[in-house]
Amino acid sequence: MTAEAGLHVENVTKRYGALVALDAIDATFFPGEIHAVLGENGAGKSTLMGILTGFVTPDSGSVTYNGAPIPVGRAFECKKIGIEMIHQHFTLVSAFTVAENLALARLPSLYSLAHVPDRAKPSLAAAERLGWAVDPEARIRDLSVGALQRIEILKALGGDARVLVFDEPTAVLSPDEVDDLFRVLRQLRDEGRIIVLIAHKLSEVMAVADRVTVLRKGKWIASSPLAETNQTQLATWMVGELPVGHVARSPGGGQPGIVAKGLSVKGDRGEDSVRNVSFEIRRGEIVGFGGVDGNGQVELAEALLSIRARTGDITFAGVPVSPDHLRIAYIPQDRQTDGLAMGLSIEDNLLVTGHRNLSLRRGPLLIAKRVHAWARGLVERFGIKASSPEEMVSSLSGGNQQKVVVSRALESQPDLLIVLNPTRGLDIKATEYVHEKMIEARNGGAAIALFTTDLDELYALADRVLFLSRGELREEGGAAALVGASR
Amino acid sequence: MKLWNVAGMAVGLVLVLVLTLAVFGLPVFPSLALIGEGAFGDKFAIARTLVKATPLVLTGLGMVVAWKGGMYNIGGEGQYIIGAMFAATVVKGVLPNPHPLFGPLILVAAVVGGAGYGLLAGWLYVARGVEVVISTILLNFVAVQLLRYAVTGPLQEAKRQVPESDLVPKALALAKFDRQMDLHIGTFIALAMVVVVWLFLFYTRAGYRIRLVGDNRNVARANFIPAGRVQLLSMAVSGGLCGLAGGIEYLGPAGQLGFNFPQDWGFLGIPIALLAGLNPAGVVPAALYFGALFAGSDNLARYTTAGPTMIFVIQAVAVLGFVRLSTLRLRRKTAAAGAD
Repeated sequence: MTAEAGLHVENVTKRYGALVALDAIDATFFPGEIHAVLGENGAGKSTLMGILTGFVTPDSGSVTYNGAPIPVGRAFECKKIGIEMIHQHFTLVSAFTVAENLALARLPSLYSLAHVPDRAKPSLAAAERLGWAVDPEARIRDLSVGALQRIEILKALGGDARVLVFDEPTAVLSPDEVDDLFRVLRQLRDEGRIIVLIAHKLSEVMAVADRVTVLRKGKWIASSPLAETNQTQLATWMVGELPVGHVARSPGGGQPGIVAKGLSVKGDRGEDSVRNVSFEIRRGEIVGFGGVDGNGQVELAEALLSIRARTGDITFAGVPVSPDHLRIAYIPQDRQTDGLAMGLSIEDNLLVTGHRNLSLRRGPLLIAKRVHAWARGLVERFGIKASSPEEMVSSLSGGNQQKVVVSRALESQPDLLIVLNPTRGLDIKATEYVHEKMIEARNGGAAIALFTTDLDELYALADRVLFLSRGELREEGGAAALVGASR
Repeated sequence: MKLWNVAGMAVGLVLVLVLTLAVFGLPVFPSLALIGEGAFGDKFAIARTLVKATPLVLTGLGMVVAWKGGMYNIGGEGQYIIGAMFAATVVKGVLPNPHPLFGPLILVAAVVGGAGYGLLAGWLYVARGVEVVISTILLNFVAVQLLRYAVTGPLQEAKRQVPESDLVPKALALAKFDRQMDLHIGTFIALAMVVVVWLFLFYTRAGYRIRLVGDNRNVARANFIPAGRVQLLSMAVSGGLCGLAGGIEYLGPAGQLGFNFPQDWGFLGIPIALLAGLNPAGVVPAALYFGALFAGSDNLARYTTAGPTMIFVIQAVAVLGFVRLSTLRLRRKTAAAGAD
């Protein structure tokens, strides 16, 4: 093995607008190793993986494979030199058979659909080698999720793949399927391939990886052989040092606010997302919910808003949570899916809360003049960079889009404010601004639930900190508990 | 929409017309002249254009309201038919005493019928998850069969000889301005509805909610807006407008119900709405364009071998071209907004 063998990432930087997704990253992936890239959502894992496989073009830096630069930004060319990606979201045609899907990945052109069995053969041979029973005539739509992932992997193995990049492959699998996947990953490794495993679950990394690289907020934090590190170390690398000696700022003597008792919530797929949690947030208090994404944050937030079914009690000062008698403000996790109507104007997006505002309407009618003035006022007060509120919200930068969501939530004093990662993707100035506004709302008597994966934000804002781990609440985390490491 | 775009579109629509004539092997300029004469040649021609455009304005508006709310209503035709049948039922009821003051009541019945039929599809979606595209298409066939049943059964003319309803009595027919012209008061009702729908969508709370839910249901849900109820409303308003078109057509140009009462005005509302860019104001020029093509092609057919088929080709090419342009424009805008 020469010194150059392997996949070398040198000084790679990628920016999206003002956001630095990857900041001068170095990493080396060796043949015959399972190399886990670990980090939270937004750490830059996906961007790095996209660069390795040619889906994303870096702004600067180089990627070389066995000494030669890879064709950056050209996914199809990368496939040709043996770099394959196994997508988290399956790229299979559900109406086709297994063999047809496998052949599809090997088509020289669209005009030669014939000889499906020939083209599927290498993939099916790989299946045999890996000990998987695959029926080439089965329809994709009839297969289970675990089986689909096998097909996805077999697609990649139909050519001479030397580098396999797995994007969070365990996210959809059952424990048994995970064990089988790990067995296969080891076998593929032992065949001399480079295995890159994108992950955010510590326990899985501990179970299968040989080497690990940790990213945080787009920066390289550490690389190490797994044997030379441990779970706590990794967790600390992932989320940063926990601030020590934090004291509760709030006297906790505010008016009664929201009370949750014995709350259990199911996720979109019917899984138990939140399990029997109880807590209280008084008026004039920010309670921070820390923890890594996917531990029940969105489900708990939506249950508190009473827009998701739940068991257990939620009351606000003794009454149910409803927009009829409370001013509720919500800053959702993902502005593009839950926050903004991208096909409408800035003004229309501000009206999401404003159309309840009695001063802006007369009965069922909206008073255009007042709406315009009100929207202009918000755009100015919150420093939304737009030529006019009539502009489409989609023409704004990400930071300014977030300001639209924040401004409509905080334009008047809320009773209850539910916030999920409000500053993700924002620059420092915008972040400070959002924090300021939240403290203003707190001081004005709002009960605030802040869900954030950003520890700095958590400790900067929260009067009390709780941690969500696998749908349960913990008083104090420690880095390992924080990322849900213990099984 | 900027003036420049409007001008560009007008040029494009004429161009489509010219190209289609050429492809059909017709002499372009004489044909254009015949179409122009038939559509705008004198006051009678203009009246014909307006009368043809009238149901298109209403069904076009209906499609705009539903589609804005994310409900892809393809059932304008069915709602149009049911609206007319409701109107005919009231007419039959007041036949012994046909006083002009019943006119508004008849039109209200048409609106109620269309709205109810639209609501049916809306309810199937909201309560049972049946795609609106599918249910409305199928309900069109149901409506046609109901119409056939009605004109051979409960709504058949008094002598029970032909599958038609009685003629609308003079007193109840829509007022005309001139005995010899087709133009009737329904045209102005339709134009008034353009303003009403525009105000409704952009200046009322309910209209705002329809636009919001249509663009992003999740945002509505996260902000306590009952998306299902909003979508039901959009289907009711949409169906009501199509029903009104049916009522007006029945009280006006058609004068009675029969097997040939459905003239595809409900279907044509879809290309009208697309050509209008889902903007109520855009419905007027789009409907006028189609109306003028219909009126003009009648004249063309009188002197050449061209049949009405050609008109449908022109309309289809215009709509496809416009939709393609919109997607291109959208793509460019998305690309300009950039990686974010």
